[in-house]
Amino acid sequence: MLQKKICMVGVFGTGKTCLVQRYVHSIFSVKYLSTVGVKIDRREVQANGQPVTLVLWDLEGRDATRDINPSYVRGAHGILYVVDGTRRETFDQIFEIQNLVVSALGDVPSVVALNKSDLTDKWQLTPADEKRLSSAGQFALRTSAKSGLGVEEAFQRLADTTVAANGAHR
Amino acid sequence: MIDTIAAAAVDAFGLTDRGLVRDGNEDHFVIAQVNKSIEVRQTSLPPDDVDRQFETTAAYLFAVADGVGGRPEGDLASGRTLSAMLRYLGKAASCFQGLDTNAEEALLEKLETAVRDVHEGLIGEYGGYTSKLPATTLTLVLLVWPRAYHIQVGDSRAYVRRGGRLQRLTRDQTLGEYMVSLGAWTDEQASRAPAAANLSSAIGGSELLPVVGLIDLAPGDTLLLCTDGLTKHVSDEQIDAALAEAETAVSTSTKLIDGALAGGGTDNVTVVVVRTAPK
Repeated sequence: MLQKKICMVGVFGTGKTCLVQRYVHSIFSVKYLSTVGVKIDRREVQANGQPVTLVLWDLEGRDATRDINPSYVRGAHGILYVVDGTRRETFDQIFEIQNLVVSALGDVPSVVALNKSDLTDKWQLTPADEKRLSSAGQFALRTSAKSGLGVEEAFQRLADTTVAANGAHR
Repeated sequence: MIDTIAAAAVDAFGLTDRGLVRDGNEDHFVIAQVNKSIEVRQTSLPPDDVDRQFETTAAYLFAVADGVGGRPEGDLASGRTLSAMLRYLGKAASCFQGLDTNAEEALLEKLETAVRDVHEGLIGEYGGYTSKLPATTLTLVLLVWPRAYHIQVGDSRAYVRRGGRLQRLTRDQTLGEYMVSLGAWTDEQASRAPAAANLSSAIGGSELLPVVGLIDLAPGDTLLLCTDGLTKHVSDEQIDAALAEAETAVSTSTKLIDGALAGGGTDNVTVVVVRTAPK
């Protein structure tokens, strides 16, 4: 079966692991456990009318002591950038992270998940921020691993665009 | 065992102990290496110009398995699982050269399939799943320098110590951990619940949910694989101190086992310590 490697990338604590848990296992974990290295999960989907296995690489988040490891993203067909909408600095850093990923990988289909959208009273992003992403040609959407909002759509968009971009190549 | 793999010297050692309470030992461990070698059989070159043999290590496999107590033949399940992992290593050996993305995916899929095959083999052998089926945990690391692939089932653990910081690579697959993660129990409730230690995933168990991951190691990193006979009695802080202080994998393993026994030794205890030399 066709396989597509999708990397989850962003600052630590943005909810990358929770998004994968929601998407693959339909559960939401309330306990924060930081990822060390990479955790790998899989889910089969239909994309552009054909079955595809998404191999989801959940990368450890960027923090003050460690950056995104370029060797982890090598060979990826698509990237899900994850921003915590309640921590503005995670949005500010996403452009730098994108540059790092693109320099390691080239230009591949990507989606920006503006996560934790259920926390409306703590939301720090403005419509102008979202417009900045769309002006840069970046597809962005609000997600919530807790409620499930936008999660299927984010991954399905990646499945469709990676299959369209790479065709039926593994 | 001290050897050189690519650019890093690897010092690895394992120990297992019955503990002070159990009658037998249902834990097992394995440390194995895959070598690439060339032997010059015949040549017209002058003898001084030819090294007759070249040998380097392509990969290592480190694993611990803990046969589930309270079921018959736990040692059968843990032993059979590790034997199967060695067979997997033999079959996968051809993948270790020039791992590109596709080969890496294939390697991980084969690893997961090998684990599922053991599970299904046990269930088939006993005519379907029953609570009396031999069952085991498995924590395995396959090191193709610098990449350490890991797979975990159950509550044995893998840790990495880097830059003076101990981090867990794995999460316990127990009912308690699951309930806490969902917010249904607090840590305190989980610590008091007798069922909290029940495995939510095991080879030979009612559920098998292998968790796969990887990490790129750096020179100076230390890996620890252990069964819960260690972590019942030795805290993460004590493990960190033991890994920091000891100078060899042998002395670190001994210190950790001694710590578990000094803490009560209520279970079989097994450790595998892997030290990579600093640059």
